[in-house]
Amino acid sequence: MKVIRKKRRKPFVPISTMSDIAFLLLIFMMLISLIHYRREVPIQYPEAEHLTRTEGAKKLEIWIDRGGRFYVGGKEQALQEIEGLIADTIVQDPSTQIQILADRDTPYRNINALVEILKQLQHRVVSFVAREPQKDEYRNR
Amino acid sequence: MKVRTHRRTGLDIGESATLSDLAFLLIIFFIVIAVFTVHKGFLLGLPEPGSTRIIPREELLQAELTASGELRSRGTPISTEELIRMAESLRKDRPNMTFLLKIDPETPYQRLVDIVDIVRRLDIDNFSFSMMEEHPQPNE
Repeated sequence: MKVIRKKRRKPFVPISTMSDIAFLLLIFMMLISLIHYRREVPIQYPEAEHLTRTEGAKKLEIWIDRGGRFYVGGKEQALQEIEGLIADTIVQDPSTQIQILADRDTPYRNINALVEILKQLQHRVVSFVAREPQKDEYRNR
Repeated sequence: MKVRTHRRTGLDIGESATLSDLAFLLIIFFIVIAVFTVHKGFLLGLPEPGSTRIIPREELLQAELTASGELRSRGTPISTEELIRMAESLRKDRPNMTFLLKIDPETPYQRLVDIVDIVRRLDIDNFSFSMMEEHPQPNE
C-alpha cells in the first residue's frame, strides 16, 4: 500500500505587511509622544545630590520662573487662581502630589507663598523638584 | 492549457529577525518615555497651620539664610562645612536635635535646596524652615 505523505508547508509570513506594521508603529509612537507632551516653562533647575524620586500616581506641577510668576500647564496663573486650582485638585483626589518646579534664582518669598497655601489647605506633602548636578557643571558650594 | 501557479514569496518565520528588532525598538521606546517624565527632588512634610512644638534650647540648631545666600548662625557668617560640623556635633549629643532655618524672602531658591540637600545627607529628621518677617539689619 502506498502511503500518501502530505507535504508540510513551511510557515510563511508575508513581508509586504512589514511596511504596514512599521507605519502603524510610527503613528502609535507619535500619539504616545503627544499624550506625554508637557508644557514646560523655561527654568534653570536647582541642583542637589541626595535626591529621591518624587513621582506620585497623580501630580499637579506648579512652575515658578525666576521672576516669581506662577504657571500651571504652561499657562501663567495668579496666586489666587492657583489656590483654587490646588483646592479643587485636592478635593477630587486627596492623594495628588503637589510638585514645585522653581527656577534656582527664584526668590524664596514665592516658594513660601505656595507653601503657605498648601498649609492652609491642610495638604501635608510637597515636592521640591531638583536635578542631579552635571559632572562638569557642579560647583562646590 | 496548463496554468502555472506562482508561489508567493514570503519570509520564513524562522528567519524573521525584523520582528525581534521591532519588539526591541518598542521596549527601548517605552523605557525612554517612562524615564523621561520622572522627576527627582525632595518630598517634604508640612506642619499644620499654627502648630507649635516646644523644643529644648540645647536640642536646637538655628541658622539663617540671608538675601545674598550667605549662611549665618546667631548673626555670625558660617560656611556650609561649619554648619555640617555643628549639626554633626549636636546630633552626637542630642540625637533628636531640631534644625531651624530662617530664610530671607529674597534668598535664591537654590540656597534652600542646598540646605535641604545637607539635611538629607546628614539624615536629620527634625528640620523646619520659615521665612523671615523682615530683612535683618546689617551687623545684627
